[in-house]
Amino acid sequence: MTRRELAAVLGSVTSIASVRAQEPPASQPEDLNTAAREQLRNNSETLSKFDLPMSTEPAFLFKA
Amino acid sequence: MAAEFTDDIFFASIGELNARLKSKEFSAVELVRAFARRLEQLGPRYNALALPLTDVAIRRATDVDKELKRERYRGPLQGIPFGAKDLLSYAGHPTTWGARPYAAQVFDSSATVIDKLEKTGAVLVGKLAMVELAGGGGYRSAAASVFGPGLNPWDRTRWSGGSSSGSGSAVAAGLVPFAIGSETSGSILTPAAFCGITGLRPTYGLVSRHGAMALSWTMDKLGPMCRSAEDCGLVLAVIAGGDSNDPASAHKSFYYTPQYYRASKDLRIGYAPVDFAERAQPATRPAFEQALAAMRETGAKLIETRLPDLPYGALTSTIISAEGASVFEPLIQSGKVDELADPKQIAGLKAGLEISAHDYLKAMRIRTIVQQKIRRLFEDVDVLLAPSRFGPAPKISEPLDKHANDATPKDLGLSALIPASNLAGLPALSLPCGFADGLPVAIQLVGPAFSENQLLALGKDFQTRTDWHRKRPTVA
Repeated sequence: MTRRELAAVLGSVTSIASVRAQEPPASQPEDLNTAAREQLRNNSETLSKFDLPMSTEPAFLFKA
Repeated sequence: MAAEFTDDIFFASIGELNARLKSKEFSAVELVRAFARRLEQLGPRYNALALPLTDVAIRRATDVDKELKRERYRGPLQGIPFGAKDLLSYAGHPTTWGARPYAAQVFDSSATVIDKLEKTGAVLVGKLAMVELAGGGGYRSAAASVFGPGLNPWDRTRWSGGSSSGSGSAVAAGLVPFAIGSETSGSILTPAAFCGITGLRPTYGLVSRHGAMALSWTMDKLGPMCRSAEDCGLVLAVIAGGDSNDPASAHKSFYYTPQYYRASKDLRIGYAPVDFAERAQPATRPAFEQALAAMRETGAKLIETRLPDLPYGALTSTIISAEGASVFEPLIQSGKVDELADPKQIAGLKAGLEISAHDYLKAMRIRTIVQQKIRRLFEDVDVLLAPSRFGPAPKISEPLDKHANDATPKDLGLSALIPASNLAGLPALSLPCGFADGLPVAIQLVGPAFSENQLLALGKDFQTRTDWHRKRPTVA
């Protein structure tokens, strides 16, 4: 691809982006941040209730 | 005389297109040009097109025609156009990952799957739109993409599904014969189901992810989205295989040979009646009843079963959030994450950086239990069967979590099959099985690791008894 072609493509992509994307929020709504943290806290509590044998290793050496 | 390209060609299977190429009904250049133009013209109608590659594609098709003229055959994908989700790199061309902060990103090399497809003569005609960053932070709006909401070819007021949105709608609308999608937890199965196409999520490690955006190193998979189970098998045979560039590669090959696998009548299929009769939205139940009847007609034995009671949702959320936040730490720390379209995704990615090592390790240890228990489940059944989604595609104007708090039956059945099977790294096949309110609905088959041929054999049998996969939306 030539530099001119690349510039044309990049121009079209970024213009699509600017036209179609929702405008980013001016500031992150605090309630969404709170809700995201709350979700992770709920996950943590759910996982903490699960008793594991000490011998259970994490699924790092992942073999399906 | 120039070939006339009608819907019969745009909705033809890979096998049909290959036969017509070989019989010189049309050339590869003619075929590729027809699909590339259609994708350019109609792709934006569904917000499916990320990047047209018409000129490059026609040059490659010219080379294919030279090979065909010399009767040098490379396999069934030779000369077949395809699309790729825009999370796959294509050397020298933009790869946006569906996200505004990456709109100008260009890589020097192509993803392994694209290299493999091109080596066999398939021709990439365009990159396809996707949910930004494959939705790793969680998203609430169908518009969570730099390309706008993925619109469903069956009803453009409905979502095409995510995160492989463009791959789903482009195949469904006959803009490409097949596409490559990716799944971390539901991103192939969901758009395949909502758009009425056949989607295959391979076993973790079977298909190289080199050159693909990482969201979750331990859960990401790439797979084909096609018109039929047969086409999925043909594409998987090309893209599967070991790759030293992918640390998670299983270094296994795949040969599409469903004829050598067990006949449907010899299979035990596990399902949960509650999924079809109570959890599925009422409008979808007649279609699911027909699908169960068609499965019984194959002679397979349907056995009631349910998933082990484990915290699949919390596990999936913790693992994807932790790994995704680590992958995108530079984006988050730079503040550019605020340029994403979906505020929930922004908040989710930021919060992911706060997950403790303790929680991540706990999740990964419980994941070992998930793998062990699901492996045991497959001692009693050969395949699991459940609705791909419990309802048809939602309206793009509605929050995607609108039904999250709806009352659901106490019996969990196989309702968590998507997160459970993704945690266990198992293959799945989504098959169209009817319509509800004019929108496609689908079933999913899940099998043990590396059982793709068995799933495809059963899927192919199902599709010889039904014609849902042949239905076409009114496109233009």
